[in-house]
Amino acid sequence: MTDPKPGSITEAEAIERAKQGDEAAFEILYHLHKRRVYSLCLRMLSNPAQAEDLAQEAFLQLFRKISTFRGESAFSTWLHRMTVNVVLMQLRKKGLPLVSLEETLETEEETPKKELGAQDVKLTGSIDRLQLQRAIDRLPPGYKTVFVLHDVEGFEHNEIAELVGCSIGNSKSQLHKARLKLRDYLKFMRAEKAGNT
Amino acid sequence: MKCADVQRVLPEVIENRQDGELEAHLKSCPACSELVSDLKLISSEARQLSASDEPAPRVWVRIAAELRAEGVIREPEAATPAPATTSRRSWSAWWLVPVAAALLAGASYIVTHKPAPQVAGQQGPAVTTPAAPASQPPATVAQAPAAKASSPQNAKNREVAEASSAEDQQFLSEVSQRAPGMRVTYENQLRSVNNYIRDAQAYLDQNPDDEDARQHLIEAYQQKAMLYQMALDHVQ
Repeated sequence: MTDPKPGSITEAEAIERAKQGDEAAFEILYHLHKRRVYSLCLRMLSNPAQAEDLAQEAFLQLFRKISTFRGESAFSTWLHRMTVNVVLMQLRKKGLPLVSLEETLETEEETPKKELGAQDVKLTGSIDRLQLQRAIDRLPPGYKTVFVLHDVEGFEHNEIAELVGCSIGNSKSQLHKARLKLRDYLKFMRAEKAGNT
Repeated sequence: MKCADVQRVLPEVIENRQDGELEAHLKSCPACSELVSDLKLISSEARQLSASDEPAPRVWVRIAAELRAEGVIREPEAATPAPATTSRRSWSAWWLVPVAAALLAGASYIVTHKPAPQVAGQQGPAVTTPAAPASQPPATVAQAPAAKASSPQNAKNREVAEASSAEDQQFLSEVSQRAPGMRVTYENQLRSVNNYIRDAQAYLDQNPDDEDARQHLIEAYQQKAMLYQMALDHVQ
């Protein structure tokens, strides 16, 4: 058996070798996709240990079924949908709402208007990555799910609606409110930082 | 268009839908203009978080171990059988068992010994010696000249690395002789777990009071012990 390194064979070749049980091929596929899978789990759960467990579970589920992969869709699409399903399953097990409960409590008039005319700290131009991560961690679970899937991972609203089990309108609404909350959090963090210096 | 009307169309605006009325309003309303600008910025910056984090090497080690246990990863057939005069079990018994146990002992040492200021010339801790194979006197590793090191801690780390490297080479050499088809598998696994140990050790050196870092290093050694144990199971 040869020992293919990432870059020495294509993803399609690695998939075919993995179907034969070649460990090096599995390892190549893992290294090609590990960052996106782990980052998705980490963003959704905000817990590195749980993110590792779920990334492991997503890869295991995929590798166990790799012999059924026929290439009709992109391998990465298959993997990332599987990862999202693993994460959502975990959130359901923990009893966390996939759609924010605040959605049903807030009226259309309430949430966003307080933003208008605010003459406070400005975000202007750049956002510190670490602060953005921390702000996302603070989002209510439902908002976080939709925001991460749409703005971080690039899923469309119809895909999110299908994955999460909500309406497309609901997905759009939660995304918008998530962004508004993030803006609040980021401004608060920036003001706090400015106050400390 | 008034500020309140902006709220209705805002989600579509962020998705880069054009709206002439809104554009006109934004030019004359700094507050709404800033709001739109901020939300677009948040959305675009969030995209940079995709694939931004690297999982620890142990994740692949665990995946590979599970796939191997389930038979999803298939071990290639050995090119040459082991010599009839040598029992596989006896080979593993003299070599792998003590090393696996020693690695676990090393992990235990890390649990119970927080780093303390060391006296120059002090003998390295037990964690350096158990990594040496049973067939090789541990003293040859432990007696590496610490005086050349820039610090006692660095000297200890170098000793661990040297012992680990020598032991791994012997391990791979034995695997090649006894089960040649498994060499690549174990070589890959050793590389992953050694990288994990190195990263965990480096982080702990920088953050000696970080309990999570200590736990990561313990897990790294435990995983290496598990690897030796798997080799033991394979050759039985």
